[in-house]
Amino acid sequence: MAGEKITMKKERFKQRQKNNLQLWTKNWELYLLFLPVMAYFIIFHYIPMYGVQIAFKDFIANKGILGSPWVGFEHFERFFDSFYFWRIISNTLGIGIYELIVGFPIPIVLALMIHELRTGKFRRFVQTVTYMPHFLSTIVMVGIIMMFLSPTSGLVNVVITLFGGEPISFMTEPGWFKSIYVWSGVWQTMGWSSIIYIAALAGIDPQLHEAARVDGASRLRRMWHINIPGIAPTIIVLLILNIGSILGVGFEKVFLMQNNLNMESSDVISTNVYRSGILGAQYSYSAAVGLFNSIVNFIILILVNRIARKVSSSSLW
Amino acid sequence: MLKKWGNLSLSLVITAGLMAGCSSGGNDTADKASTPQQVSNLNETGLPIVKEKIALDFFTGKWNGNSSNYDDVLVWKKYQEMSNIDVNFNLVPFESLTEKRNLALAGGDYPDVFYSARVGSSELTRYGPQGIFIPLNDLIDKYAPNFKKLMEENPDIRKGLTMPDGNIYSLPSVYDPNFLSMLIGTPLWVNEDWLKQLKMEEPKTIDQFYTYLKAVKETDLNGNGKKDEIPYGGTGITSIIDQIKGAWGLGTKGLGHKFVDVVPDTNQLRFTKTLPEFKEMLQFMNKLYSEGLIDKEIFTIESGALNAKGQADLLGSTIVPNPDTIMGKDNFIGLGALEGPHGDKLYSHVKVPMVHVGAFAITDKNEHTEATIRWMDHFYGQEGATFFFMGEEGTTYNKNANGDLEYIDKITNNPDGLTMDQALTKYFTWTGGSYPGFVKEEYFKGSETLPNSMEAAQKAEPNAVEDIWYNFNFTNEETEFMSSVGKDIQDYIGEMEAKFVNGSASFDQWEEYVSTIEKMGLEEYMKVYQAAYERYNAS
Amino acid sequence: MAESRGDRFIMSSIYILLGVISLIVLYPVYFVMVASLSNPEDVMLGKVWLWPTDFSFVGYQRIFENNELMKGYLNTILYTFFGTVLNVVMTIAAAYPLSRHDFKGRNVFTLMIVFTMFFSGGMIPTYLLIKDLGILDTFWAMILPTAVSVWNILIMRTFFQNSIPKELQEAAFLDGCSNMKLLMRIILPLSGPVLAVMVLFYAVGHWNSYFNALIYLSDRDKYPLQLFLREILIQDQMQNMVDLGSDTFSRSLMEVEAIKYAAVIVTNLPMLLLYPFLQKYFIKGVMIGAIKG
Repeated sequence: MAGEKITMKKERFKQRQKNNLQLWTKNWELYLLFLPVMAYFIIFHYIPMYGVQIAFKDFIANKGILGSPWVGFEHFERFFDSFYFWRIISNTLGIGIYELIVGFPIPIVLALMIHELRTGKFRRFVQTVTYMPHFLSTIVMVGIIMMFLSPTSGLVNVVITLFGGEPISFMTEPGWFKSIYVWSGVWQTMGWSSIIYIAALAGIDPQLHEAARVDGASRLRRMWHINIPGIAPTIIVLLILNIGSILGVGFEKVFLMQNNLNMESSDVISTNVYRSGILGAQYSYSAAVGLFNSIVNFIILILVNRIARKVSSSSLW
Repeated sequence: MLKKWGNLSLSLVITAGLMAGCSSGGNDTADKASTPQQVSNLNETGLPIVKEKIALDFFTGKWNGNSSNYDDVLVWKKYQEMSNIDVNFNLVPFESLTEKRNLALAGGDYPDVFYSARVGSSELTRYGPQGIFIPLNDLIDKYAPNFKKLMEENPDIRKGLTMPDGNIYSLPSVYDPNFLSMLIGTPLWVNEDWLKQLKMEEPKTIDQFYTYLKAVKETDLNGNGKKDEIPYGGTGITSIIDQIKGAWGLGTKGLGHKFVDVVPDTNQLRFTKTLPEFKEMLQFMNKLYSEGLIDKEIFTIESGALNAKGQADLLGSTIVPNPDTIMGKDNFIGLGALEGPHGDKLYSHVKVPMVHVGAFAITDKNEHTEATIRWMDHFYGQEGATFFFMGEEGTTYNKNANGDLEYIDKITNNPDGLTMDQALTKYFTWTGGSYPGFVKEEYFKGSETLPNSMEAAQKAEPNAVEDIWYNFNFTNEETEFMSSVGKDIQDYIGEMEAKFVNGSASFDQWEEYVSTIEKMGLEEYMKVYQAAYERYNAS
Repeated sequence: MAESRGDRFIMSSIYILLGVISLIVLYPVYFVMVASLSNPEDVMLGKVWLWPTDFSFVGYQRIFENNELMKGYLNTILYTFFGTVLNVVMTIAAAYPLSRHDFKGRNVFTLMIVFTMFFSGGMIPTYLLIKDLGILDTFWAMILPTAVSVWNILIMRTFFQNSIPKELQEAAFLDGCSNMKLLMRIILPLSGPVLAVMVLFYAVGHWNSYFNALIYLSDRDKYPLQLFLREILIQDQMQNMVDLGSDTFSRSLMEVEAIKYAAVIVTNLPMLLLYPFLQKYFIKGVMIGAIKG
């Protein structure tokens, strides 16, 4: 009995090996195609990766990374012990989640709407216009935001006072910071982010729509039952990638928008570490914080990918 | 997409100091003994510096407006002939200076000298003992008579330059301690025309200043029918706090040390930001802000916008380098020290004369250290400094009847419509700052030498900070403390200051504020300061 | 077939909504254009909202006088063109194999490349690598380190997996089509939209990039446009950060204001024109219908 089982296993194993071999050889072109990409990642990403160690060392230039003394988790401890640790984590996460909840769906909705337009001047106009603000440099964009929100001359406050209200000093009130940051980001990038969805929608077979229309389905139902499922894989992949960078709140825009009065809401990991580095030569510390960030993001990514795999048919791997 | 770029810039910024495995190899910093060839090629005094031409590579920080090719600039063209040293200036724009400097140092890819590269004290402390920068003590002693003389005349320079291990690793950018106008930099300017219109005298006390501000708010002084006058406008509240804190006796050792100074008459260190006097000053600021006497945009406004306000005749008072040059308004006068409620009258806004510790540093790759130091030393002497700032008599400047030096017309009133700065950059590279050198009134013609700035300095002089502390240099461990706990304390104070001033924190919270700082590690902070202070005094 | 009332309502709402959104989104760009033609002082005082005050071309004048900016323009066009070509080729080379379920090892490879999105050695080991490869301060340093983006590979892979009907692929195999032929004859022609998107994303990425140039280039003749733009824009920040209070800085600020908005318009114009050009690839279903027929 046992002997039979073993031979059966052996046979299946051999069969699988033969299959694998077949797959390897049949698809040799694919491997060849992938080779240069592999080479790129190995050369430009994996070879320099020894630099990650710096987070665990007290770097001394002459001795190089390998020769510098090992300090283990000292830098991480310093980070966790810092007075503002919880604040910056909470701000970074807060902004990340806010951006996700607001900023993720809007481009999708925008794409769905644009897709419904027939091609023509209006459609081209909308697409081009919404795409433009993406190109404004951060410095210019923040300058515009501050101008609009100025407590004395800003357009927003002018309108508020017109309606009899008191001017609000948006940039100096912590409560407003995250909303301004997120919504201005949506304003600037929704058109750009919708492009990928518009392209995905263009890949949906129009015959599906024909069939549905014949069956009497309204536009709304068709959007819900055909368009959205049609681009669901794209949505899911982007969602996973976005969640997986949730701690990655950029440096420049926050830095330009923060000041001492809104700091309790605007200080994020990147800006806080930047200030540590001003005195100079705090390389290992910044590397440690960066590594912490990466690890957290990566773990989140793996978790989300696992969920996606269980719940839907698309995932990263 | 947004996230992707955000992530990218985050990791780039955070790893902006990540070091590599390859290094230049440990170098023996003990006595870089000169080869006989070097010494024989060197002229110990006078010009040229070397008998046979040598070449040196300089990592050079460059201001945006300066020429992109230093070989075309008069000063360097001439000096090459005079010194017989061919300097190759590798220009790095200030905007990318920090990243490039870090890369160069960490990657072992640096040239003979760091010139005008803003090397910080903590970098000197870190890389000096590791051998990347060489100690200059002996070289200065033997081959830099001009700088040596300066140090003897101003012992504080030596104190500020000496790193915790006892060595000097750099030559600085220094203002003449007697050149008060430079040290003040940005006086508190008041609109003289409006004073006259209000029939008020120049404010000499805090209360008089308050009265002036109040009057500005309530009167249409610029005659446009609107009450849009801004009594005080500035970029942030730090500059005005630094100006008026002297009226409460704070800041006794100058602007180099904003958190710690000494109690007058004793030599005890005290932490200024928790003193009752500091609270009083903040309360005064809060009063100004809540009564609308301070520009509501002060916390967010950029310099460009502030200048625009000045040009539009909206400002009653402000703190800038010189309203004449940057706002086109010549009707402002600078105030002297204001007297406070307890009789203190200290002009606290005085900068450390040594503005850049590491303006010039020699690396271990330099094979001509004696010649190099002689090259630099020339500019610390009278002749060299005059040459660096003013050029050649007859070619770029003339002596007028009083014996003062003046640029030729082609520079001050350029026929082709160039601004003075644009004209200057053809001949000089001092525009933009950060250069190693010694700035004296007789040959420096920046806006700080205009009559209105000089007058302000004269008024300030009797009450100006005496015995300014130069920068302290911290050991590696101390630097780490100051970058972590120290930085957190300073951040907390910065935020609370702003909140006390604009009213979002009430003064009832003062006790809580003080005790939070103590909890954060004030005692340790003071200990670190004390240690650095003692070293400073000892050097 | 006539549209139902419900549908007409939806369509009108869509038109109105999109119209409103377009105006809201257009405004900052319109503002920049207006500001670039106005007196800089008025702009800073907040007097400019809907039309230029006190017409002033000084910003544009300064820019066109600036030879360096013009050279930067040329460099950027070069880097963008060649960079994008390389990018798109590499992305296809990665996304196609990864999209095939019978590509053994695809999960491992995917994980490997995703890993590099999160973990990296840092700026300096990478800098040293570039140096050791001998491409420091060259055209190649602008192209090779960013040869392909994981994000984009995943997007293209998703597109290949989901938008190309499996029946087509199977039919082709039965007909004896090799992998390469399949890719070139069937997959790519059907991939108009995603290819257009990739061209757009990569081109814009190159156009806007400055950090690599900042680190790897020292010869000003090779600088891309954005680096010059950055030098102009960052003047204001420099003032605050360095705390020099030097008046030479302050005086240049008025200049900066004048140039700022004009610079943004001039540097971004080509990219703004690129998208309308690529839009024809986003028409729904054109490709699929053509191939099927």
